[in-house]
Amino acid sequence: MGSSRSSLRGVPDGQQLLQETGCEPERSGRLGWFCLGLRSEDLEAELSENPIGDRIVGAFFQPGQETVDFPSFVRVLAHFRPTEKNWTRDGVQPEPANSRNRKLKFAFQLYDQDRDGKISRTELLQVLREMLGLQVTEEQLQSIAERAIQEADLDRDDAICFDEFRKSLEKVDIDHKMSVRFLE
Amino acid sequence: MAVLGPGPASFRFGSVLLILLILSGSSWTRDVPTGRNDTRPEPNRERDGQDRDPGTNATKHKKAFPVLELNYDYVRMPFEISLWILLALLMKLGFHIIPRISHVVPESCLLIFVGLLIGGVIKAIQEKAPVMDTKLFFLYLLPPIILDAGYFLPIRAFTENMGTILVFAVVGTLWNAFFIGGMMFAVCQIEAAAAAHVSLLSCLLFGSIISAVDPVAVLAVFEEIHINELLHILVFGESLLNDAVTVVLYHLFEEFSHADTVTVGDAFLGVVSFFVVSLGGILVGVIYGVLGAFTSRFTSHSRVIEPLFVFLYSYMAYLSAEVFHLSGIMSLIACGVVMRPYVEANISHKSYTTIKYFLKMWSSVSETLIFIFLGVSTVEGPHNWNWIFVVFTLVFCLLSRVLGVVGLTFIINKFRIVKLTKKDQFIVAYGGLRGAIAFSLGYLIHQDEGSKDTRGMFLTAIITVIFFTVFVQGMTIRPLVELLAVKKKKESKPSINEEIHTQFLDHLLTGIEDICGHYGHHHWKDKLNRFNKTYVKKWLIAGERSSEPQLISFYNKMEMKQAMMLVESGSAAKLPSVMAAAAAAPAAPADPAQTAEQQREPTPERMIPKISKTREAEIRRILRANLQNTRQRLRSYSRHDFFMDPFEDNMSEVRFRRQRVEMERRMSHYLTVPAKQQETPSVRKVWFEPEHKVYTYDKNERTRPSDSAALLDESNQRADGQSERQKPTRCLSDPGPDGDEEGSCFRPS
Repeated sequence: MGSSRSSLRGVPDGQQLLQETGCEPERSGRLGWFCLGLRSEDLEAELSENPIGDRIVGAFFQPGQETVDFPSFVRVLAHFRPTEKNWTRDGVQPEPANSRNRKLKFAFQLYDQDRDGKISRTELLQVLREMLGLQVTEEQLQSIAERAIQEADLDRDDAICFDEFRKSLEKVDIDHKMSVRFLE
Repeated sequence: MAVLGPGPASFRFGSVLLILLILSGSSWTRDVPTGRNDTRPEPNRERDGQDRDPGTNATKHKKAFPVLELNYDYVRMPFEISLWILLALLMKLGFHIIPRISHVVPESCLLIFVGLLIGGVIKAIQEKAPVMDTKLFFLYLLPPIILDAGYFLPIRAFTENMGTILVFAVVGTLWNAFFIGGMMFAVCQIEAAAAAHVSLLSCLLFGSIISAVDPVAVLAVFEEIHINELLHILVFGESLLNDAVTVVLYHLFEEFSHADTVTVGDAFLGVVSFFVVSLGGILVGVIYGVLGAFTSRFTSHSRVIEPLFVFLYSYMAYLSAEVFHLSGIMSLIACGVVMRPYVEANISHKSYTTIKYFLKMWSSVSETLIFIFLGVSTVEGPHNWNWIFVVFTLVFCLLSRVLGVVGLTFIINKFRIVKLTKKDQFIVAYGGLRGAIAFSLGYLIHQDEGSKDTRGMFLTAIITVIFFTVFVQGMTIRPLVELLAVKKKKESKPSINEEIHTQFLDHLLTGIEDICGHYGHHHWKDKLNRFNKTYVKKWLIAGERSSEPQLISFYNKMEMKQAMMLVESGSAAKLPSVMAAAAAAPAAPADPAQTAEQQREPTPERMIPKISKTREAEIRRILRANLQNTRQRLRSYSRHDFFMDPFEDNMSEVRFRRQRVEMERRMSHYLTVPAKQQETPSVRKVWFEPEHKVYTYDKNERTRPSDSAALLDESNQRADGQSERQKPTRCLSDPGPDGDEEGSCFRPS
């Protein structure tokens, strides 16, 4: 991880990026070297031990792209800024990237790899398999997935849509959980 | 009282009066310090001795054989202790019977009030009341409360807010101590206070005693108002962690007040001592915690003593820390926290319940006794009412608390993700209650501290502050919480979704932090989890459970809870709905789980059996018996094929029936699926009479008088071959491999 600092000049559309994401490139100067264009292998090296590493990597890349440039990178990371409590929904400004809804949407998209708007049972099973690894049997995975869908699935379509996902997490403090402190 | 009518109330009052009288009587007869207590029974014994002595006394008279004797001294000590505890608990019971008062006044206030009454009565008969001496308090009354709190500490909330809690505990208490101490010294210089002889160090000592938030009082009051977890853990965590600061400050000032001069070196040593006390206490706690966890790995053959290990190791941690003047409270907390995840993986379910209830019981008794003694000691203790001193102490305590909280929050909020609002700050400041620890420490001040007056003055002020915080703040905090609409604790059912998603988010955040190169909270937590999984769990958890992921154990716990709920409610259900349910069960072909089941079924002719009434009753009875005795067997089901998990919130009777049917179906399927490696082998503990038939679906479905028993028998047979190479994993029940007892329960007679 380079620690080179970059300034707003070097970043294309720096001002617009700042407005959109609220991230100042100087603050995320540590990531400055990403300006050159990041490939998935670079990210994967960091996340080799992480069970859902490849999903995270995949979230940075738009479908079909081989590299990610700095603005896209920052856009993704902007989801993890701490939430501001005084943001009001006034309909004029687009919802900031770090609102609770957007954070949840980001997490939802990590589950929903085929982007059909629902977490199907197979997708859930895949996630569970990745997280739990080789220590559990197939039946256990099946039963857990089964139970999860039973609990969350309110419209009985055997999949978890975004609203159901959000509802099942209403007691979890997403603002706290999905925030990285230094991205102020 | 309007609810119950005059009868029980008067009876209760009568009994209370009676107990008071007996108690006073016992105090009157007690002369513990002076040792005059052996005078009365002596003549009795002497006389008997004379009688038996043959040749000494010419005028011996033959005494009639004493049918009824009074020998109180034999049982004096335990009798009085038991009587006190019994009285305290009766009081506690009484309060909850009066519906109106217990809503307004917190229990602690009522108990102090009772203590005051008792103290008054004892003083009226001019006897020496039992005062809460420091040894009794610190060695016997305090540890159960702290252990109860520490063992059930919500770890996630605690570690997430650790920084805030530490800042409040350390910096806040230091600020309080110095502010109050300094200000009181200034006050003492005022002419009208007539306390100019009090030195600065004495005032600082006083400040350090009174500044600490008390865990007992906080627990007692906050338990009843159910505020949200964040505030609760902030105030409570602060009250626990400031013990280190209090201990250091107290010893520091006490030492200094005997010395003549204070140098910078001494102050520096004080700082060093703080680190030694707190970190040393934690280290001691961790060592004992690891020992306890390690011991629990081998207790599978003596389940009955498992809870004792937990208690004794924790108590030893506390005492060992106190030996070296380290922070006993922190040691106790560390021991409980470290021990808990491993011990819970190892012990049986009954032991877990035992631990939970014993801890709650002891802490409840301790708390009650502490408050009553506080009341009694108030009446008894050396008092020196100095208006100015007391009033100013009170004012400065409140002031310093508010200033401290506001100032520290301002700094802390720069570092927090979720900021503390003004409401939060108010509750944190208002929840800074003082309690019995302050009183005991005050009592501990040596007599030669200036003069007797000083000690009396300090004690009076301490007691006044305690009373004020417990009574006024304790009583008003509930309406204030309502008024300010502070978020309350959410009663939520454990949800598998939450668990899955929380873990997922943990991984996600760890990944993001890795990408950013930012070693944050999640990074370290992930590292700790990895370390835990690869090294620690292997050593401290018995059997195959050492490699069980957290999600699986969570899931199993949920399944077990559901099964238990099923049994408990199913036993009250009626029979006529059986047919409806049995009809309903096969009539749900659109059920996704059933299709899934059919996909997984090896042979297509397995069908859902139609349950007859007798079989239903049979199943119910056997399930009830089984589930009460070997929960482990049920756990073995939950590891495998639970096709459909109808986890529904509103459990109606029909659904219960359905679930019962489902469970039966699962049991049968379990038999047909070859047992996997992680299968818990406790099935072998199920002993059945061999004359039961083997259960298969294809054969006649008519009369199956003991089908479930047969199910279990076959599972027994199947598991037999593998029972040797499987070690018993976490046992959820059974006092031990007592085969006879188990077998007799299962015999369906």
